Amino acid sequence: MRRVLVSHVDSRLARRLIKALYHDPQVELVLGLGTGPVPGYLKPYRDKCVYQRLDLARPRHVLNLFRSERFLRTRPDSVIHLPPLRDVRRVPGKLPAGVAETRYLLEECKQRAEIERFVHLSSAFVYRAEPGNANVVSEEQVLDFDAVSEIRAWVDADLTCQAELKNPEFRVTILRPPTIVTDAGGVLQSPPLEGPEAPLGFDPMLAVVSERDLARALLLALHGDCPGIYNIAGRQVFPRSVLARALRDSAPRAFPRLFSSAASFAGQTLDLFRGAESGCRRYGFALDTQRARVCLGFEPQYRIEIHGSDGRIDTVALR
Amino acid sequence: MSGQAPGAPRAAHLGGADPFRASDGTVPYLARLREARVRPTPGEAPGDPSALAAAPDLGPPVPEVALEDPQPRDSWFDRVAGLLLDRDEERRLEAAAARLGAGAYDRLGLSMQTCRRTLALFKLLHRYYFRVESSGHAQIPEKGSAILAGNHGGLLPFDAAMAVVDVCLRAESPRLVRTIVERWVGSLPFLNVFYSRVGQVIGTRENFRELLRGQELVLVFPEGVDGIRKRAADRYVLQPFHVGFVEESIRNRAPIVPVAFIGADDQAPILYDVKPLAKLLQLPVFPVTPTFPLLGPLGLLPYPVRYEIEYGEPFRFFEEHPPSVIGNPQAVREMVEQVRGRIQSMVDRRLRARRGRER
Repeated sequence: MRRVLVSHVDSRLARRLIKALYHDPQVELVLGLGTGPVPGYLKPYRDKCVYQRLDLARPRHVLNLFRSERFLRTRPDSVIHLPPLRDVRRVPGKLPAGVAETRYLLEECKQRAEIERFVHLSSAFVYRAEPGNANVVSEEQVLDFDAVSEIRAWVDADLTCQAELKNPEFRVTILRPPTIVTDAGGVLQSPPLEGPEAPLGFDPMLAVVSERDLARALLLALHGDCPGIYNIAGRQVFPRSVLARALRDSAPRAFPRLFSSAASFAGQTLDLFRGAESGCRRYGFALDTQRARVCLGFEPQYRIEIHGSDGRIDTVALR
Repeated sequence: MSGQAPGAPRAAHLGGADPFRASDGTVPYLARLREARVRPTPGEAPGDPSALAAAPDLGPPVPEVALEDPQPRDSWFDRVAGLLLDRDEERRLEAAAARLGAGAYDRLGLSMQTCRRTLALFKLLHRYYFRVESSGHAQIPEKGSAILAGNHGGLLPFDAAMAVVDVCLRAESPRLVRTIVERWVGSLPFLNVFYSRVGQVIGTRENFRELLRGQELVLVFPEGVDGIRKRAADRYVLQPFHVGFVEESIRNRAPIVPVAFIGADDQAPILYDVKPLAKLLQLPVFPVTPTFPLLGPLGLLPYPVRYEIEYGEPFRFFEEHPPSVIGNPQAVREMVEQVRGRIQSMVDRRLRARRGRER
């Protein structure tokens, strides 16, 4: 029976994960961490889930957590570290970095003998995207050290966890999902779909994964005895333009968007953004999930469908 | 911990109903848990069964919905394509696309909708502009992975386009040919998207293997950029071949079908290659042809030469050599030279026949 600590439980993905953990007979207790008040969705699960409000980016908060009565009472033996994922459609702008959070949490967990497993949710956008890339990349693909600060922060968090991969007493599993599609038709964690318009003449293919499949992969990583790095993706890939159109059609149009489109067009024409742009906005890739299939037993069970008539994004069961 | 037995109805605060049971109404959680197994890919071992058994299903499946193409088929592009393609050609394209399954795009970016539109346009070029004559379609395997290896010429890859149209519309068993293109093409705006949507793939080993593993028919030009860079004086003289296609053929047990293209080298004869300018513009070649740069970008368009395509008898090196032969560069080079020699002889024979006809 596992006692699991889950960070950033106030995200959409965490909601799906907490539900799965609640109904998992192998999980005894869940300690959820978040920065705000208790999320409303946790209330039905309170017989198995405990919530702690704190800011993981502050070392003192993290230290206090591991010495708190609540922690000592729950005594988690596994950690699922989720980044603060947000819906790209609803919250424009950059995501918080999360490097410091990962480092503080990892350091504290390492020092607790009872914590055996650490599952870190990274991102497939840590891979370097170049014109000469393979269209299907494996876990061995070079990371993008020259990326913009937001993606570089993911790379750094990923590397922080990778440093512990060979630690025999502390099993670290890193999952790298691409664009995450929620049941409600939203999209989480996708830099190519955020910010200004795409560069002219480029329409990268974006791999997608359903939030249900990703939550399932997190559970498999939690229960399986397979530390390492795994790509997690669904079977579909979509051009960025198709996903962007679907998202745009299902969201209210902001008036300033007209200005940003014009400014973006002018910027691309004058090649102003080349230095600040990440390769993932121009060059796409699908993910090779063979390692996850063989070692974790992960197989996508949901398919993402985009409907041309009304721009709706649906998650469809494969069986 | 609530202290309940696993799978027992829990959560009295939810009105005494198990949320999973309540949502799908029939299947209890434990039964669903047992069903939460992974279907292994054909020919592949499943994952650790204990790990799979421990993973619960994540709630009731969402309902199946009708499949729909994300790009509606009512644009004028599609109407024009519908007018240009007859029923038999539509059927052939559908047969070639059948392997794609339900998705609108494959993992490498191919879109059948774009393929259909492009095929309709290039059919006109194939039939009326280049007036392609082809033979030896029986040599193309009807199924399974195979490599078409041909000579390359002309500034723009119309030889590849004609081969794609030819195999799709004239082969006994229509197949969609996937062409391997140079890496620098990926950095060209608009062109990289077009190539990707019509099934062309950047030439990396990983991509090549992915295609062969997917039982695709792959067209390669082993001369590489040297093929399009050669001057008019060197027309139809095959340049040295790269060896990767033979190695992948042996590794993936894919036959190599030699293909001779006549006409490609005449479509835009290069008089001179301005190498400093090519280097400055990061292009593989900056050509001077009878029409370029005199007529601007229009000068790059091919002349209406008559194309001939011949498919030769396949090489099956994997039947004669074990995979370990890949580690022997000398042996691999000899195999590559066999393929090159065969293509050169096919090209020479066709050229002699054409000159004979012209006389």
